[in-house]
Parts: sequence; structure tokens; C-alpha cells
Amino acid sequence: MFTDAEVAVFLDELDEKIEVISEQLLVLEKDRGNRAALQEIFRAAHTIKGSSAIMGYEKMSTLTHEMENLLDRLRHGELEVSTEVVDCLFQALDTLKTLRARVTAGGEEPDVGPVLAWLRRCGTPARPPEAGAAPFEEGIACPAAPVAAAGAGGESPAGHRVEPPPPLDDVELSVVREAELRGFRAYWITVHIDPDCQMKSVRAFLIFENLGRTGEIIKSLPPAEEIQEGRYDWGFRVLLLTREEPRALEHLMMSIAEVTGVSVVPAVTPEEYRAPARQQAAPAAAPTARVEAVPEVRRVSQTVRIDVQKLDTLMNLVGELVIDRTRLNRLVEVFGGRYGTDELVETLNEISSHLGQITGDLQEHIMKARMLPVAQVFNRFPRMVRDLAHKLGKEIDFLVQGKETELDRNVLEVIADPLMHLIRNAVDHGIEPPEERLRLGKPRAGRLLLKASYQESFIVITVEDDGRGMDPARIRERAVEMGLLDREAAARLPEREVLDLVFLPGFSTAGTVSELSGRGVGLDVVRNQIEQINGTVEMFTAVGAGTRFTIKLPLTLAIIRALMVTLGEQVYAFPLTNVVETMHVRPSEIRRIRNNEVVVVRGQVLPLVRLAHLFQVPDAGGEQLFAVVVGSGERRVGIIVDRLLGEQEIVIKSLGEYLGRIPGLAGATILGDGRVALIVDVRGLVKEIGTEEVAYAAG
Amino acid sequence: MDRVAEEREVQLVVFQLLDQTYGIDIAAVHEIIRMESITYVPRAPEFIEGIINLRGRIIPVIDLGKRFNLSAGERTKASRIIIVEVGGVTVGMIVDAVLEVLRVPASSIEPPPPIIHGIEAAYLRGIVLWNEKLIILLNLDRILFEHEQRALEEAQERLAAATT
Repeated sequence: MFTDAEVAVFLDELDEKIEVISEQLLVLEKDRGNRAALQEIFRAAHTIKGSSAIMGYEKMSTLTHEMENLLDRLRHGELEVSTEVVDCLFQALDTLKTLRARVTAGGEEPDVGPVLAWLRRCGTPARPPEAGAAPFEEGIACPAAPVAAAGAGGESPAGHRVEPPPPLDDVELSVVREAELRGFRAYWITVHIDPDCQMKSVRAFLIFENLGRTGEIIKSLPPAEEIQEGRYDWGFRVLLLTREEPRALEHLMMSIAEVTGVSVVPAVTPEEYRAPARQQAAPAAAPTARVEAVPEVRRVSQTVRIDVQKLDTLMNLVGELVIDRTRLNRLVEVFGGRYGTDELVETLNEISSHLGQITGDLQEHIMKARMLPVAQVFNRFPRMVRDLAHKLGKEIDFLVQGKETELDRNVLEVIADPLMHLIRNAVDHGIEPPEERLRLGKPRAGRLLLKASYQESFIVITVEDDGRGMDPARIRERAVEMGLLDREAAARLPEREVLDLVFLPGFSTAGTVSELSGRGVGLDVVRNQIEQINGTVEMFTAVGAGTRFTIKLPLTLAIIRALMVTLGEQVYAFPLTNVVETMHVRPSEIRRIRNNEVVVVRGQVLPLVRLAHLFQVPDAGGEQLFAVVVGSGERRVGIIVDRLLGEQEIVIKSLGEYLGRIPGLAGATILGDGRVALIVDVRGLVKEIGTEEVAYAAG
Repeated sequence: MDRVAEEREVQLVVFQLLDQTYGIDIAAVHEIIRMESITYVPRAPEFIEGIINLRGRIIPVIDLGKRFNLSAGERTKASRIIIVEVGGVTVGMIVDAVLEVLRVPASSIEPPPPIIHGIEAAYLRGIVLWNEKLIILLNLDRILFEHEQRALEEAQERLAAATT
């Protein structure tokens, strides 16, 4: 049996390969002649076949074996990429995913029979091989020497039959490895010479001379003596150890007259580099066999799997460090006051500030360790859009940008759902069917953009379509019809806030206004989910031009910027995302409307609520009050506190299982002096105040 | 008589609360700390004194006196917070003073009377007479969890009443 760790490595690799297949299949579907995509899929399937066989997942290896067969037929031009082929491969991929899910979740394995049968009989034979597949075959026969880079005006050497360079023998490999340590890389350089060349030996000499200046030639085919005597056919091949970039070498070669083509490929593939290390490792853990000599070099990042709890513990430890640092700072101040600029005090000061810096860096890096690229979530959407578009008979160009943007894993988990909702909405209701788009003078295929980017300490995710858009007038009308607003209030509402109406619970337009049909359904849920993690969501729309949703999220849930205030003897934190502004309020400015305290700000009535009253704690009283204005749109409330302390980054901690959720509180944080401050759940409080107002109005 | 049972010992942390002596099983005790500044948590159940920072962890602290509906104890220099871990939850309990750690034979523990010093038997594991001192053994599971749900519900009701 395999250990859990080995299975985990296998599953990691499997997930990665499934992702690759999924991604590349979509590419292949769009661009059916894309050989690179085909190659990637083939390699991924091949890897899974090998590793699943070793791990003993028989169905998985049988399935990938059949996939590989089908892909091989495609690669050899026996079969053409058709919709059926793609669908069949997708079906196989889905089955593979189900099999993978069974590994962790258990349960009955699906019947792979039907999909195996489909894979076998799939597709119609392609054109006769001699017509269509000739260039194809050359590529296969010569995987390490892709079509040579032809220079401007240079003749394509595609007509030549070129054998692949032979694999290096052990002696050569050891030479290459040793040179590698000194920063050299080994390349096979294939040079094509104009067949009409008159002075073949001189050309060859020139080339050897030029290459010799960039590094060391350790081998050539045919042997050097033959080449220098002009005894070669289409050209020759040289094994070079160099520090130059392949591009530079290509340029160098193409600058020589009568050279018609050149290709530079690494002589040793990354797999081969790692080979010795692999042999020592547990053979089951990394069973990737060498599949093809691939010219492309991938950057392999080294990773270790870590339990998130360990990171949390580290974070807590850093939190303690921060507190002690603050204490040390205070001590330094006291010492400074007592002993003046004593040398020891200065040293202590230095240590203290250095410690502070290190603590800060440590905190930042641990935070980063918790981050994952949004690709984890984004990657599932292309497939979803494809399937949905197929079903609805729509054509959609789905663009995904900024996949590498990183986000705290907790945030990532929360955004998947709302994003899916928005994307589905855009495909379903935003983007028009192709015929309608053509009629409107738009391109046949709708454009859907999913983009992530950084903006200060936030991440912004945009979902944008170029579909129907929404008409603010219609939204206004609909809100009145549904009794969410009276006609007068609706008319008064500024346009920006009209768009906000679609986020109201129950704002549904299903079956009423065709342009809005279904849009808005569940948008309140989307907003809720996003606000729960201190994010915001906004909509922009233009009739006929499309709709854009902009989601702004904190990079992490663990640390937020907050406004610190005091009430009585305690400190409270207001998450900054909820704070509109702060203001000074003199008790004499406070008016009463019915039972509510209000203050007039810039001609507008702002309802006030005393935090001391909400929390039933004593306040400091006095002539100086401060209001923290929170809420959005029409619903603004000033929450009265004793004093404002300023903004600060705080680490959010939960109140713990024992206390559970306490209404109005979002958690706690530890202050620099070690005391605990409570974090106010502003949204919860505003909701509470809302019901209070209603109660007053009713009474 | 079973000799093994006779020889089995129980280690107790013995503390004082409102002129009575109580004991809890040492296995549940995480550590004992001096009183420190406790952050009051609005809207929490009555017996929750607040929360403290225990080396980066937020720990709720309860007032045992209030928990038993006796009066709240006075904070003195001798006051301590006993940090206990019960059922995977870490909680601090304020006591008037920690007296000693005691080893008593398990056989010396007697079943509790129906009510003692205003505390119901359900909260007790038993009583021990030791050196002419009566030690009341507390059943932490019951004390910390049994009424927790009810108290929270009550608090929520109060809140609902206050806001409507």
C-alpha cells in the first residue's frame, strides 16, 4: 500500500494534469490545428496513465490509455479534431474527475465502459495521410527539432527530412551536467544550409568559428572532419555548451550568409536533469516518465504542503511577538526618559527597532504563505461557460485575465459561488444569441471578461459582458411595481443608487421585463456573500452595451484596516470598508425626530445611534462626541462614540467557540499593549438599527 | 474491597470562592494566571466576565460566583484566573484565591448532597473531607456547557426585547 503522503502527491499531480487537459481542450476546440495544445493534452494523459497504473487505480489508467490512443490518432493525422472528438474527450475528462473524486470521497466508481467505447469509435477518418499529414509526421519524427526558425527572406527548410538528434550517451550527459554547474546549458543547434551553396566547407568553418566564440562545441553530426570537408547534405547539427540565450544563437546563425534555417533546442530536457534525483526518491511518488523531448523549459516552483492550521499558529506567534515588541518599545521610552542618551539605551533602541522591522516582515511573509492564486477558482469557469453557451446556443469569447493574482485562501473559498452566479447570469441573460447580435451590428460572439487585479491593499475582480445591459428606467419602474419604493422616491433616486436596487432582496424581474429577465435574481445573495468577507460589489450597465460587476475584496480575511475608537474605557474597531466618514458632533447640534436623535449634515438628516446605548455600556459623556458614519446609499447612520483613535491594521480573531456569535460583534483583536479590542459588526448593527427605526415608526 | 480502587488517587486544584473551598481535577487545568485587564463583551451572557489575551489567544473568562447565581466575588491581590480546557474549549474562571494542589484517594470522594451552599448537585462531582476541610468538587462539563445554550438564548431574547 502507499502512504497517505504518496497518495497526496499523486492526487496533486492528478489535479494539475486534469486542469491542464481541461484548459488545453478548450484551446484545441477553438483552434483545431493547435499542435501544442494537443501535445500538452497527450502528455498529461500519458502521465496520468503511468502514475495511476503504479498507484493501482486501474479504471483511471484504462481510461487515460484510451484517451491517449485517441489523441495519438489525432497527432498522427489519422483523425481530425471535430466537435465530436472534443465532446468525447470532455466526457472522458469528466469521468476522470469522477474517478479522482472517488479516491478521496470513496463511494462507487462510475462505469467507464460507455466512455471507453466512445473513445475507441470516436471520429471519422481524416483525409488520406499522404495529403494532410506530411508536415505533421515530420514534427513527430523529429520532436526535439521543431520547425526551424526561418529568417527573413530565408527559405523554409521544411522540405528536408531531418532525423532527431540522438540521445546523449552517459559520457556526454555527465559532461553536460558538469557544465551545467558552471552555468552552461547544452543545446542542439541544427543549421540548414542553402543546397545551392558553393563553398560548403567554408560556410561550415565560419559557423563553427562563430559558435566556438559563444561556448564549447562538444559534438557534431556528421563528425566535424566530414563537415569541414563539405561532406554534408542539408546542413548539420552541433552540440554546444554555452551561456548564451537560444534566441541570441539563432540570430547569430541567421546572420551568416546561405544559412536558411536554424533551430536551437535544449539537448537535455528538464526530466533528464531531474532524473538522478528521481531515482533516489520513492519511485511511486513521482512516476512521470519522460514522454517527449520538449523544447520548452518550464519553471518548476518548489513547494511543500503545509496544514493551514500550522500557518495560523505561526500567525498567532507573530501576533505575540508584535505585542512584546510594543512592550519593549515602551520600555525603551521609559529608559530613555530615566537615563537620557546613555549608550545602553541607544543600543536597546536599535535592537527594538530592528526587532520591529523583522516582526513586520515575518508577519507579511506568513500572510503571503496563506495566499493562493485566483486561478484555483477561475480555472473552473471556462468549461462552465463553454457548456452553458452550447446549451443556450450562444457564442462566447471568454477571456480570463490576472489568474496569477493571489488571495487569502479563505477569501478564495467564499468568492467562487458569487462569481459563478455572475458569470452564469452574463451568459444566460446578458449576452444575446448570435443572430440577435448580428442584427444589432455586434460581433457574432459575445465577449465575457473575468479579470482580477490588485488595487492598493485590495483585489478587484471584474465580470464584464458586452450584452444587453440594463435600463435604469426599467429598474426604477420595476422597483416601484414590486413595492420596494414609491414612485416619488424612485424618481428622486440618483442613477447610481438606482443600479444598487438590483441587489435588494427579492428584486426579481423574471417574466416581466424582457431586458431584465432573470437579471437580479439572486444578486442579493451575491452581495451578501461578498459583504460577509468585508468586500463590496457594484454594478455598471449601459443599455445595449453590456454590464460590468466590480467586486472589491480585502487581500486577506485575517488582517483588515480598521478605525479604532473608544467607548468608556474600552477600545472598539470599525472595519474601514464600512466607514463612510467620521465627524465631530456637539451635543447642542443633536435634534430629535420622534424618538430618534439626528444631526443635519450638509443639508441632509443623518440619524444617530449611540454605541453606548446599543451595547448598554457607560460612555464617557462630555461635550465632545464623534460620529462614525456607516452604511450605504440612502441608509446612512452615524454611530456615536467617545473618541477616535485613528486607523490601524488589525488581526481579526474570533471570539471563540464558547461565546459563539454575538450580534453586533464581528470578533476581537489584540492591541499593541496586549489589551483586547472588540470589532464591531457594522452591517449587523445597521440592520438592527433598521428594525429599530421601523419599530419606532410603527409605535 | 478492590485494592486498586482504594489506592487510586485524584489530584485536585483547590481554590477559594466566596468563603467556600472548591476543587477541580488537575487534568482540566491548563494554567493559573494573575488577574489582568478583562475586556467586557457587551451582549454576552451575564456570567461572562469578558475576554482576555492569553499569549495571542482570545479566551473568555467567566465569573464562577455569578455562574452559580451567588454574588460576584471581589477582586483582590489573591484573585486568580484558572484557565481550564474542557471539551476542547478553553475558558478562564475567576476565583478568589488558589490554595493548593491536593492528592486525595478517589475513595474519599462522597456523592454530593442535593444542594450545598446554594449550588445544585448537578454542578457537583462530589465532596471531599480533607484535614477537616470540606472541599466541593465541581463538575466543569456541566458548569461550562449545560446552561450555555440557555443563557445565550436568554440573552438573545433580551436583545430582541430591547430592540423591538
